[in-house]
This record gives sequence, C-alpha cells and structure tokens, in this order.
Amino acid sequence: MSVITRILDKNVVKQLPKRAAAYYSNKPNIEEDIGEFRVLYLKTSKAQAFTKKKYQKPEVLPPRSNEMPVDQNWGNVWPGPRTFHPATVPLPLRQGYVSKGSPPDKYANAELMKIPNFLHLTPPVIERQCAALKKFCTPWPKALSNDELCEKHFPFEVISSNYCHSSPSIRDPMARIVTIKFKLNDLKFDEKSRDKYLRLVGDRYNSETGYVTIVTDRCPTQKQNYDYAMYLVTALYHESWNVEAWEELKTEADMEKYIWENNESKKSVEKLFGKNSEDIAESKQYANAVINFMNEGESDYTLANYGDSVRILLGLPAKTNVL
Amino acid sequence: MSLVNLKQILTKCSLQQTQRSLLHTTAICNRVQSGRYRITAKKDFPLTYEMANPPHQIAHRKSWNSWNTSNLQGGLRSSETAVEDMFIRKFMLGTWHGLFVSEIIVKRQHNMIRVAGIIRQSISPRKVYFLIGYSEELLSYWLQCPTKIELQTVADRKDVIFKYI
Repeated sequence: MSVITRILDKNVVKQLPKRAAAYYSNKPNIEEDIGEFRVLYLKTSKAQAFTKKKYQKPEVLPPRSNEMPVDQNWGNVWPGPRTFHPATVPLPLRQGYVSKGSPPDKYANAELMKIPNFLHLTPPVIERQCAALKKFCTPWPKALSNDELCEKHFPFEVISSNYCHSSPSIRDPMARIVTIKFKLNDLKFDEKSRDKYLRLVGDRYNSETGYVTIVTDRCPTQKQNYDYAMYLVTALYHESWNVEAWEELKTEADMEKYIWENNESKKSVEKLFGKNSEDIAESKQYANAVINFMNEGESDYTLANYGDSVRILLGLPAKTNVL
Repeated sequence: MSLVNLKQILTKCSLQQTQRSLLHTTAICNRVQSGRYRITAKKDFPLTYEMANPPHQIAHRKSWNSWNTSNLQGGLRSSETAVEDMFIRKFMLGTWHGLFVSEIIVKRQHNMIRVAGIIRQSISPRKVYFLIGYSEELLSYWLQCPTKIELQTVADRKDVIFKYI
C-alpha cells in the first residue's frame, strides 16, 4: 500500500501544478494579439474561451468536361489507358439496365469503370502514333513481293507463339513449342533417300500439300526446342542419305515395288533391239505400261495399256476390234 | 414417443424412400442466398446497382469486379490472382476506411494492376492524394507489380444508390 501511495504521490500530486501551467499556457488567446508576439496568460478567464476552428469543406470543382473546348486534342486529355472517369469524358454515356426508364448515367456509375475502354486509342491518335513510328520502318524488300518469292528465298517456316497474360510473370509453358514447316521438294533427294526420308518422318509429311511439319516441345525453352528442331531436320536429311552395308543385300524379291530398270523386261528389250533402252524412242511408254501392270495389278485397263505399248514398241499396227 | 419408436419409423421411411430416391432430377441447391437482398418492411434498404443485380446477372446486366486472364480457360496462376485480389480489397477497405461506396474493382493488364472504385468526398483532397500514393506504393511493393489507383468521388453516399427495397 505504501508503495502505491508513494508512486501516486510522485507521479500525480507532485506534477499537478506543472500540468496545470502547461495546459493554461497552451490556450489560444484570441482577443489580445497585440504587436508582434502573443501575450502569455498564466490564468484563464471566460473571455478567452477555446473556440474550435470551423471545418470548411473543400471546394469541389465542377466537372472538367464542362470547360473543354470542342476542338481540343483528345489525345492529350486521355493519353494512356485509364479507368473511365465521368468528369474527364465529355460524352453523355449511360450504362446499366433499368426495367423502366433510362439507364444510369455516367456519374457514380461503377459499371463504366469496370469495362475496359479504348478512349486512348481514337483514330486520330492511332494515326499520329503510326506517323511517329514510320521513321523506324523500312520498306518491304521488293525481291519478296509475293508469297512464291518468299517461299523460294525462305523455304523454312518457323512458327512459335508468345502469350500475354495479366500476371506478373511473362512465362508460359505453351511458348516453348516450336513448329517447323518446309516443302519436301526443297530438299535434294534421290529415289532411295526420299523413300527413306518419308519412312523416317512418317505422318509428319502431308502428301496432299507436300509439307513436312516438325513440332518440338520436349525442351523447357523455345530456343532449345528450335535448336532441337533444326538438329532433327539436319539429322533426318543426312540419315536418309546413309546407305548401310546390309542394304546392298536387297534382292529383286525384297523390292516393295516393281522397278523396270532392274528387271528382266529391260534386258529383253535391249537384247531385242540391240541397243540401250535410252536410245529406243518407244521404250519409255513401254516401261511405264509394264510398271503400271506390275505395280497396280492385272486389270482390263493395265492389260490393254500393256498390249498397246507392246504394239507401239514393236511397230505393229494398232489393234482393231475383231467382230 | 420413445427412441425405439422413432428408430422404427425412420427405418420404415428410409426403406420406402430408397426405391424412389435413387435418382434426383431436381437441383440440389434450390435456395441460393448469396448476393441477394431481402426486401425490408419499410422499403428503405438502399442498394447500389451492383447489389441490386444478383450474381446470375453477371455478364448480362453487370460485369465482373475482377478483370484478368487467369479467369479464362487455360489461364495461369488463377489461385494466386484470386488471393491477391482479395488481399487488395481488404487492404483498400481498411486503408480507405468507410470511404468506398462501391465495390473495389481490380483490373489487370499484363503486370499492371488497376484498382478502381468510388469514394466519398468526406476527407480533404490532400489526404486523398496521400492515401493514393501510400496505397499504390505499398501494393506495388507487396505484389511486385505496378499498381494504379483510379478513383471517382461522389459528394454524397446517396449518389450511388440505385434503388431502395
């Protein structure tokens, strides 16, 4: 108990006069501000009662759109993307649904603030920005005036996508995918390597358009996938030109289709005429007829075709219908 | 009624119903209450346009309060965006205490976050400028995205009232 009283005594009782003095001396004195300095009153009187400063509401200016000239430069008023503000846009806009009557106007209309606006991209502004960017542009090369020329000079088409998200990250896993397209005819092949190439690429070759499409997405970045795709293109090409030792062992029985040059038919024609098949004028159509006959199988058409070609080769009169 | 009696009745009921209740053709939630307001007796409960339209009117009569690509199909970091948006709302409501008279709209474009809304003109413009700078600075630091606060002011709370129910 004694401890408490002592603390009380120390803190409260002793400081009482001091506090009172501080309180009085801080009181504002309104009436007698004489001269340069205020007068310090140690004792209060009713005359110098504390008057609270009246709060003045800040003046609210009328909407800016009221003062806008008709021929103002709108691009300077609304230079960039921004949320709709009714006091800045001098248009009588309305937004919202009301069953009866007109929709709510632009003031205090949250719906107008939600929707994205393109007030910063008005046609004159776009025109101005394009004009400003024009000095950085170069003319399109004349040598690439049409699509055929482009394809001729740049046979490889590399397709990759970048994605824009509304997020702090610019990464998107889809951006890693790289697609490479090119025409098979742009690569140099012989019969055998072409066949091998087609076997290697499988369904990546579209026989209707003649395009080979390679899609790579196994690496984590676009650059790596592009490099891998280019590696694939190179490796496929060179691999298709490779000839293994065992491929030489392929006999006529292993052929997947009939090739006239390798067969008895050519030898017998050469024997018959006593010269090379290239020198015989009619050998070409004869060879085609035989190839068709062997590859497509025996049918009325191929058979008749074969008969005709033999007649031409041997210089016999054309077949007449015997009744 | 004793407990045993009750049990018997219940088992009877369930036995009868099992035959029928295997297939439900009606929706489970017949009573949906969120975002809807009850009509008061005096018809003096104020509603803003946002409150006056229930959630099923979103994209018909009113639009979303959060605009981002995470909500779209295949959008990335949807959970993070939702949590961040909620955080922004909480922060704004607390910082601008009792000042917002509309929902807080959070719009995202690339890494930019735009926070929009309607406030009352009850504090001095100086304080409003301070709070704008303060909120922008802190939100940009926390979310690591440039944040912009784009506000509209109204003189009176009643300016945003759409109807009374």
